[in-house]
Amino acid sequence: MSQMQDTGTSLYRKDPKVYPRDVNGSFASLRKLAVLVLLGLYYILPWINWGGHQSVLFDLPARKFYIFGLTFWPQDFIFLTLMLIIAGLSLFFVTAVAGRLWCGYACPQTVWTEVFLWMERWVEGDRSKRMKLDASPWNANKIIRKTSKQVLWIGFALWTGFTFVGFFTPIRGLGESVIHFQLGGWETFWMLFYSFATYGNAGILREQVCKYMCPYARFQSAMFDKDTLVIAYDEARGEPRGSRSKKDNLAEKGLGDCIGCTLCVQVCPTGIDIREGLQIECIACAACIDVCDQVMDKMDYKRGLIKYTTEHRLSGKETRVFRPRIIVYAVLLIALIAGVIYSVNHRVLLRAELLRDRNALYRELPGDIIENIYTLKLINMDSKPHRYKIEVLNNENMRLLVSPEPELEPEEVGNFIVRMQAPEDTGRGSLKVDVRFSTLDEPVIERTVSARFLLPFD
Amino acid sequence: MTTQHPLNRRWNRRQRDWAVVFWIAFLSASAGAFVLFGLVDPLDMVSSWADKYDIGLRLAYGLAFAFLYLVCLLASALTMFMIRTGPSQGHFKGKGKRPIPQVQDPSQSNPELDGEVWK
Repeated sequence: MSQMQDTGTSLYRKDPKVYPRDVNGSFASLRKLAVLVLLGLYYILPWINWGGHQSVLFDLPARKFYIFGLTFWPQDFIFLTLMLIIAGLSLFFVTAVAGRLWCGYACPQTVWTEVFLWMERWVEGDRSKRMKLDASPWNANKIIRKTSKQVLWIGFALWTGFTFVGFFTPIRGLGESVIHFQLGGWETFWMLFYSFATYGNAGILREQVCKYMCPYARFQSAMFDKDTLVIAYDEARGEPRGSRSKKDNLAEKGLGDCIGCTLCVQVCPTGIDIREGLQIECIACAACIDVCDQVMDKMDYKRGLIKYTTEHRLSGKETRVFRPRIIVYAVLLIALIAGVIYSVNHRVLLRAELLRDRNALYRELPGDIIENIYTLKLINMDSKPHRYKIEVLNNENMRLLVSPEPELEPEEVGNFIVRMQAPEDTGRGSLKVDVRFSTLDEPVIERTVSARFLLPFD
Repeated sequence: MTTQHPLNRRWNRRQRDWAVVFWIAFLSASAGAFVLFGLVDPLDMVSSWADKYDIGLRLAYGLAFAFLYLVCLLASALTMFMIRTGPSQGHFKGKGKRPIPQVQDPSQSNPELDGEVWK
C-alpha cells in the first residue's frame, strides 16, 4: 500500500514538505566535492594574503579591488564587465552542452542547501526520522533536536554573513571588531542581511527558490536542444513498472526494469518523480541516478534506468556534441578569455587625467606668454613607488610647470597643479597637445594623454 | 441598427505586457533620476571623462537617465518574464499541478530489499 508524502508547512502552495533522503553514489560524491571546494574557497580565501593584501578584497571605500595579487581600479571597470560577460557566456555554454550542471553542483542555492541538509540530518536523522519527528507532538526530544538544528543553522548563517562582509572589509580587522563588540553599523547590517538571506534560502525556502524565483531555471530551456545532456528515465526499458522478486521472469510477468520502489522520488530535493518526464523543477542533481543504480545493482539489473542522456540518444539517434551553438559559444568564450588575459597583462600601471581649469580660458603673462592651468590626477597603480617626468610631445615651444614634483607611493593617487605655457604666436584658438607621463626609475611605465590648450581666438 | 464595438483597437497580451514594461520602467527611472540628481550633480560623477569629451550638463543628465532607464527596463522585463512563464492562476489551490508523487517503502516493491540501508 502506498503512502502520500507527509504534509508539512510550505510557503507558497499546498505541496507536501520535501524530506530528501540521503544518497551515496558517484554523483553525490561529485556534489560533495563541489560543495567542499566552492564553500572552501568562499570561507578560506578572505583569510589568505596575496602580494601584501587580502587575496580577494573589494575595498569599496578606497575604490580598489584586490584579486589574487592584481589591483583593479575604477578605471578597470571594463575588466569586471568582461568577467561578468564571460561568466554569463560560460553558463550558456555549459547549459547547452550539459544541461543544468550549474544547478545541480555549483549554484550557491544548491551548495548552501546541501550544507543545511547535512546539519539537519546530523541532528534529526534521515528522511523517515525527520518525518516522524515533525509529526510527533512537542516533547523534550523534539525541542532539543529542533533547537540544536536552529543553533547550528543560525551559527553557520552568521559565519556566512561574516565572511561575505569580509570580502568588502579586511576580514582580520572585521574579526577583531566582532570579538571586541566594535562592529560598525553598516557592517552589522550587511552581516545580518546576508546571514538572514542564507538562512532563509537554504534553510527554509530551499527548492521553492528554484521552482518559483530563479530566472535561470525559467530560461535555461531556451538553451536546450535535443543533444543537451538531461537526466531521463528510460521509459522503454522501465515500463511497465511493478513489484517483483529477484527470481521472477520479467517476460512472463510482463514487467519492465522499474520495480516501483519510489526511491528516486524520495531522494529528489525538489520532490518530483523523474519517471513522469523532464520537468522544470528538476535541478539535475542526479540523486535519482545514484539511488536507482544502487537498486539495479541489488536486483542484478543493468545500471542506467535513470541516467544522463540526450533526447536524441533516447530516441535511438546519435548525439552531436559539436553543434553550431556550441561552437559559437566556445569561440566567443575563448576570444573573450584570451582578450581579458592579454589586456590584464598589458595594463599600463599609470593613470593620468589632465583636466583644464573650468574657471578661466587662459591667462596672458608678461612676454606674450599664454598660460593654461590644469588639474592633474595621477594614479600610481604599481606596487612600487615612482617619480614621474612630464613632457609635451608635439610642441617644442611649450613649457610645463608642475607643483609639487610628481612622486607617488605604491597605489597612491596624487593631485597636482599643472601650468602649461606657450608663446602667443604658437597658434590661435584650441590646440591639441599630447602630454607624456613616464617614470624616472625602473620599471619604465609611460602613458600619453591629450589635452586642449587654449590661445586667443582672434 | 447596432454598431460593432471597435475591438480592433484592443491590444493583445504581448503588446500590453511590453507597454507596461516600458512605461513602468520610465516612471521608475524618472523618480530615481529626480531623487538622485537632487543629491548629486551628474557632472561630478563623470567629470574625469566628461571634461575630455566636453559633454555638457544636459548630456550628462541624459546619459545618467538613460542608464537608470536601462536598469529599470531590465528589472521590469525580467519581472514580466518571470510572471508570464510562472505557474498559472489557481496554482496555489492545486489547479494544473501534476499529481503529488506517491511514495512507498522499497520493500513493498520487492521483499528482498527489506532492511537495505539506501545510502
